[in-house]
Amino acid sequence: MSLASTPAHIRIDKLTFDYGGERPAVDTLSFDIAKGEFIGLLGPSGCGKSTTLRMVAGLLAPTSGQIIMGGEDIVSRPPWERNLGLVFQSYALFPHMTVAQNVAFGLRLRKVGKEESAARVAEALRAVRLEGFGNRRPAELSGGQQQRVAIARAIVIEPEILLLDEPLSNLDARLRDEMRFEIRDIQSRTGITTLFVTHDQQEALTMCDRIAVMNGGKLEQIGTPVEIYDKPATPFVAGFIGRANSVPATLSLGTGGPRLDHEGQALPAPDLQELPADAGDGAKLAAMVRPHAIQLSRPDGDGLTARVNRSVFVGSVIEVELELAGGQKLVAELRPGSEEAQLAQPGADVALTWRTTDMRIFAA
Amino acid sequence: MTKFLSFISRTYVTLVFCIVFMPMAIILVISFSADSYLSFPPSGWSLKWYGTVLGNTSFMQGFRNSAIIAVIVAALSLALGLPAAYALVRLDFPGRALIRSLVIAPLVLPAMMLGLGILMVFTPAGLVATYPGLVLAHLVMTLPFSIRILQTSLSNLGTDVDEAAMTLGARPLQVFMQITLPRLTPGVIASSAIALILSFDEIVLSLFIVGPRLQTLPVALYRYVDERTDPMVAVLAVLMIALSLAIVLVVERSVGFAKAFGR
Repeated sequence: MSLASTPAHIRIDKLTFDYGGERPAVDTLSFDIAKGEFIGLLGPSGCGKSTTLRMVAGLLAPTSGQIIMGGEDIVSRPPWERNLGLVFQSYALFPHMTVAQNVAFGLRLRKVGKEESAARVAEALRAVRLEGFGNRRPAELSGGQQQRVAIARAIVIEPEILLLDEPLSNLDARLRDEMRFEIRDIQSRTGITTLFVTHDQQEALTMCDRIAVMNGGKLEQIGTPVEIYDKPATPFVAGFIGRANSVPATLSLGTGGPRLDHEGQALPAPDLQELPADAGDGAKLAAMVRPHAIQLSRPDGDGLTARVNRSVFVGSVIEVELELAGGQKLVAELRPGSEEAQLAQPGADVALTWRTTDMRIFAA
Repeated sequence: MTKFLSFISRTYVTLVFCIVFMPMAIILVISFSADSYLSFPPSGWSLKWYGTVLGNTSFMQGFRNSAIIAVIVAALSLALGLPAAYALVRLDFPGRALIRSLVIAPLVLPAMMLGLGILMVFTPAGLVATYPGLVLAHLVMTLPFSIRILQTSLSNLGTDVDEAAMTLGARPLQVFMQITLPRLTPGVIASSAIALILSFDEIVLSLFIVGPRLQTLPVALYRYVDERTDPMVAVLAVLMIALSLAIVLVVERSVGFAKAFGR
């Protein structure tokens, strides 16, 4: 990855926030952000992603750890000395100022001259496609427009880092899709390093260069959207990003290579490299496979035998609920009209296989 | 059935309004009386009592005093109440919850008790029948209201906008002056108006600490009613209602009352 190999612009180092609850809200979190990178903090609510963002913004003092920006620990610096742009879910515009005054606010505090300020405000408004809106009040704008003003206000000061806190959550579905591309587009053009907090995997997958998946205050995995989706590092990531089936299996290390069995039936042969390091003979493991990777064949074929419970047409795919011999349920996605789809009649017996490369194996 | 219910509720609301406004209506009518005593309905009509009131030095002196005190009280209520409200909403310090509840204590205590306490403190301090004394006493009444209203307005503002300003480079004082305060205008106007009206109408505490040298309008009116009952009393009542109403209207027109109270 070219981005990951460039020197860190911002380094989050063992960042911890503990307000005295059962567990720290953010627990020894460490990752690097490269210059110009668009990085997503993804996780369910309460995973500590917003707390992390607030610590980077300086609105919350970490219990311990460092935030290195430009080679310097900024933890003790107040927010007004960090030179960053923050965009809230609520837009947080200044209602008593015009759009142009909103955008010019940070420049005014930096004592930027009148002419230069006007030029930069105009440029920022152009970047968010709001030319000619300078004299309006925030209340006269739609939600999407207000959000774009908030972005213009944040990028006009050329911040070290742009922090986006669930910026799309207040927009309706159609606008959200539009803004997704628009934000990414603005970021690419300006090249501002961006930290984007979201609970929406779709947003994270489509917008980010890299995604940091958080759960329970800890970093589960950081990687490109493709890495996160195809090679989830933990069962949590596998279940949180996209849909995943988990099949309990027992490992046997025979002469013919490693073998996984579920209720006495063999799963597709696992790759030795993929097995958890400490898994020995007889280890209880969980095999993870995406619904679209499951292949159906006639019951006399190779693979796990299963019965089709339900088959639902949902447009682009047919969703099939399958039940293994032991009662374990799986979901498969089939292409409508395919031969497999023909087999997926409710009550029918089928055999299930998938490619070794489509399977991830975790300790159960 | 719903029709019947709606009839009942309309009748009920009308009745409540009658009970509330009937005395005021009667006073308004009597203020235009030509009689020399309070009677309803009056036997003749005239504006002479309005003239008498405006020519009465005791009342006019009282009005002047009350107006001066009310304006100072309103200004001080804001000056003292705003930092207090800010601290109670935005800052975290030990004992915050306790102080929050204690702030409204003067509203729960009987005014008589407060008045007695104030008298006992003010007499040795030489504050009885002085402007500072009356202002201080009124502040005891108005500050809890001011703080409560400003507290509500402040918490309704949330912290996002201030935090956004902070990350853009604004220091706390700049945030307060340029962002928080302008957004707080409705609350500031409402709390000032309430303090103004409360102080102008205040009587219980004032009764304890006014003297022949310094008398407020409500006290002058109260003393007058003790001795005489002529339509002058009604005229004064109408004028005081009109003043309060005018203040309320100004608030309503400038920011809207519902908004001022943070709904």
